[in-house]
Amino acid sequence: MSTLESISADLGLNEAWELKGSSHWLASPTLDVRKLAELMRARKARFITITATELPEHGGIALDYHWDLDGQLLSFEVPAENNQVESIYDLCEAADWIEREVHEYFAIDFSGRDYVPLMLRAGDKMGVNLREEDE
Amino acid sequence: MSYQIPMGPYHPALEEPYKLDLVCDGETVQDAKLNVGFNFRGIEHLAESRNYIQVIALMERVCGICSNIHTLSVCQAIEQVLGLTPPPRALYIRVIVAELERLHSHVLWAGIAGKLMGFKTMFMTCFAIREKVMDVLQAISGNRVNYAMNRIGGVNRDVTDPAIILLMIDDLERDMVKTIIPIFTTSRTALSRCAGIGVLTEDQARSLGVVGPTARASGLPQDIRRAAPYAAYEEMEFNVPVEPSGDVKARLVVRALEILESCRILRQALSKLPPGGLYSCPEELEFPSGRGFSRVEAPRGEVFYSVSWEEESDSPRRVHVRTPTYANMPAVRCMVRGARLADTPLIQASVDPCYSCTDR
Repeated sequence: MSTLESISADLGLNEAWELKGSSHWLASPTLDVRKLAELMRARKARFITITATELPEHGGIALDYHWDLDGQLLSFEVPAENNQVESIYDLCEAADWIEREVHEYFAIDFSGRDYVPLMLRAGDKMGVNLREEDE
Repeated sequence: MSYQIPMGPYHPALEEPYKLDLVCDGETVQDAKLNVGFNFRGIEHLAESRNYIQVIALMERVCGICSNIHTLSVCQAIEQVLGLTPPPRALYIRVIVAELERLHSHVLWAGIAGKLMGFKTMFMTCFAIREKVMDVLQAISGNRVNYAMNRIGGVNRDVTDPAIILLMIDDLERDMVKTIIPIFTTSRTALSRCAGIGVLTEDQARSLGVVGPTARASGLPQDIRRAAPYAAYEEMEFNVPVEPSGDVKARLVVRALEILESCRILRQALSKLPPGGLYSCPEELEFPSGRGFSRVEAPRGEVFYSVSWEEESDSPRRVHVRTPTYANMPAVRCMVRGARLADTPLIQASVDPCYSCTDR
């Protein structure tokens, strides 16, 4: 079993991996981000970042979790249903700043954590700047 | 009784806008809180309204020190979307400019570290050395800050006179080996300010996901040039310096050794510079829908770019940048705990923070 297949098996996912650019890509609506964070920690993978992308035609926001495993770039796409995703900050300290930034700029709520302003120095309107105005 | 000392946003050591609230007990730091975002520019959002030529010039402005790395990263990501491969000579020139940029960045950092140690002669020496690198970059590109070297599918300018670069490398290496490295590693003044100060353990470094010299100085042997080679790095022989102690001295030593490794890479790239064109790219680009990723080892560590594009659009749908300081700076909180207040400016500087990058 390859590394990628064993990751899918550990996460209980049946979706196939794709190669997108230089990244091994796994998209699944049922991906448990906390289980993913625990698995990546156990495998000593390095957390890189979370990319939030607004999908075309008001398709909502997708979050891509990027990790480095022995030099391989692994990306996991998770839809932010109802603009909410579980926080992984308590499992992965490195996710702190990017969760705060995505919260401020895309109004995504990472449940299970508190926020201290990161980039927005004044005001409390979340979701400004990087989110379409009509959303 | 503990008390709080606000440091910044105009910083006493680094002319960059961030604020560190230090909780102290006497002269000992107990904890710290870091505030950033004072000059956040929204470059990622701006990129969504720029075409594929403008977006390169825009991303070059993310950082004033490693501007070339950002154009290299965004070009590599766009090339992935388009399925383009630059010609071999362009890949070598990308390595040459990236290593020159690492040289001037690391020497600049050594100068600032010297200044913060109270070693102003060292500051002047380092800046005199750095000027030689800047002169070479200016000779290649015509510019001292934004070199505009990268384009989609290759590079804009050739390296026509390798001899001047080789002369500069000889000079710089001699100064490093005879002057800078011995002083930083043997002088009692330097050691008293660096050794055992601002420790970040290997476990902390891994947990915080730190990158670049900060990670390598805490025993993590990660370097994107080696782990996931890009441009022509696969054809270069070089070592990845790693120090286990995790203190300011380790971060200093790692960067000093990396300067020597950059000289080694530059000599190889210049001696093996293949003939051929500078770019391979059609006159007009037609974008498919897709995503491209780029990871590059900048002077401060891994830069990550994610670019997504919709078919027939002139502008990217999304450009996301994760800069090295964004990954490294939260580690300062661990480094300053238990440190003397007077050591905190040097500890912060030892990460080589860049708030231009962070406030992208």
